[in-house]
Amino acid sequence: MTIAALFFYLYAAVACASAFMVIAARNPVHSVLFLILTFVSAAALFVLLGAEFLAMILVVVYVGAVAVLFLFVVMMLDVDFAELRQGFLQYLPVGALVGVIFLVELVLVLGTWAVAPEAMRAIQAPIPPLDQVSNTQAIGRVLYTTYVHYFQLAGVVLLVAMIGAIVLTLRHKENVKRQDVGRQIARTRAMSVELKKVEPGQGI
Amino acid sequence: MFVIGLQHYLVVGAILFTLGALGIFLNRKNVIIILMSIELILLSVNVNLVAFSAYLNDIVGQVFALLVLTVAAAEAAIGLAILVAYFRNRGSIAVEDINLMKG
Amino acid sequence: MTALIQDYLPIVVFLAVAAAIGLALMAAPFFVAYKAPDAEKLSAYECGFNAFDDARMKFDVRFYLVAILFIIFDLEVAFLFPWAITLGELGTFGFWSMMVFLAVLTIGFIYEWRKGALEWD
Repeated sequence: MTIAALFFYLYAAVACASAFMVIAARNPVHSVLFLILTFVSAAALFVLLGAEFLAMILVVVYVGAVAVLFLFVVMMLDVDFAELRQGFLQYLPVGALVGVIFLVELVLVLGTWAVAPEAMRAIQAPIPPLDQVSNTQAIGRVLYTTYVHYFQLAGVVLLVAMIGAIVLTLRHKENVKRQDVGRQIARTRAMSVELKKVEPGQGI
Repeated sequence: MFVIGLQHYLVVGAILFTLGALGIFLNRKNVIIILMSIELILLSVNVNLVAFSAYLNDIVGQVFALLVLTVAAAEAAIGLAILVAYFRNRGSIAVEDINLMKG
Repeated sequence: MTALIQDYLPIVVFLAVAAAIGLALMAAPFFVAYKAPDAEKLSAYECGFNAFDDARMKFDVRFYLVAILFIIFDLEVAFLFPWAITLGELGTFGFWSMMVFLAVLTIGFIYEWRKGALEWD
């Protein structure tokens, strides 16, 4: 168990340090790369907690897709990032104050909390032992039946995100000739060929 | 020290949350970093959910963390789409200029 | 729990080897390579003239749209994994709940197809 503890400290330290670098790095590309490191370390923490499926989803969806999306946007917008850094020091006192207050509050909460005895009895779906039922299977058993409404709601959220992104960013170029397969196939001889009777010496 | 309990994970979540909130304050001119800070905050929420799920031996925390991940991905997609549309209209991503609706 | 973590030991070994090789390859030039820089050597190489502008080019917005659509379907596939391995226990209700989920996302897919979001121009 000591080795697991060592790995916890390693990944927790990497996660916190890279999260700090996300907000402190000068170059937004570096910020994105540190965000990826944070997500990977968090995925390792999830594995230590036994939540394998979420760890894999974190790697696949976040590192594979969301971080790449951020990278695209950083590279797509040709912005002078040094200019955007201005005001960093100006906001530092207020930001540090808010951050310290947050941290003190959270530490105060963490120092005094206790799990209510009723909480143990309020368990909805206990995790089966891992050697019999894998983590992914345990999630699958409840997600599609007991929590079907949340699941459908997730589908609707994804639909809205898809439509929203298309509405916001899709602009077709004007005057681009596109291939329309249906029209090509539907074209008949009568629609495209016309016989003209041409008088000699007059032209059309 | 060498027995990792719920407390340790909650501390990690608290630090990540604080850094995310701090990032929003420090990088007020750079919307991309603000969006990344929001992702950090949502990640800290997920760490809390999964830690409690493992501690209380209840799978529901992980199911909810999965939904939070979904919402976070959708939020990043829409947020960046708004950013791209704004950049296309204005030629900059300066958030201070977004005050046209201000009375 | 300990058995679970032991299953991940190969990944840790893999990461350690990858990090060691990567760091070694990055550190080796500092110790081994011959270095005598001057201003001309360090400047950007552009056949005969000075560089016009930054080498970083703006990406096209269309890449971004493809990336967003990839995220959405990535998550859809992520929701399919637990369903696929528990399908035998879920019964008819579980099967149809996933079909409704897929139908909702298919509406979005048809929308983007009709709008031409998958076209390049």
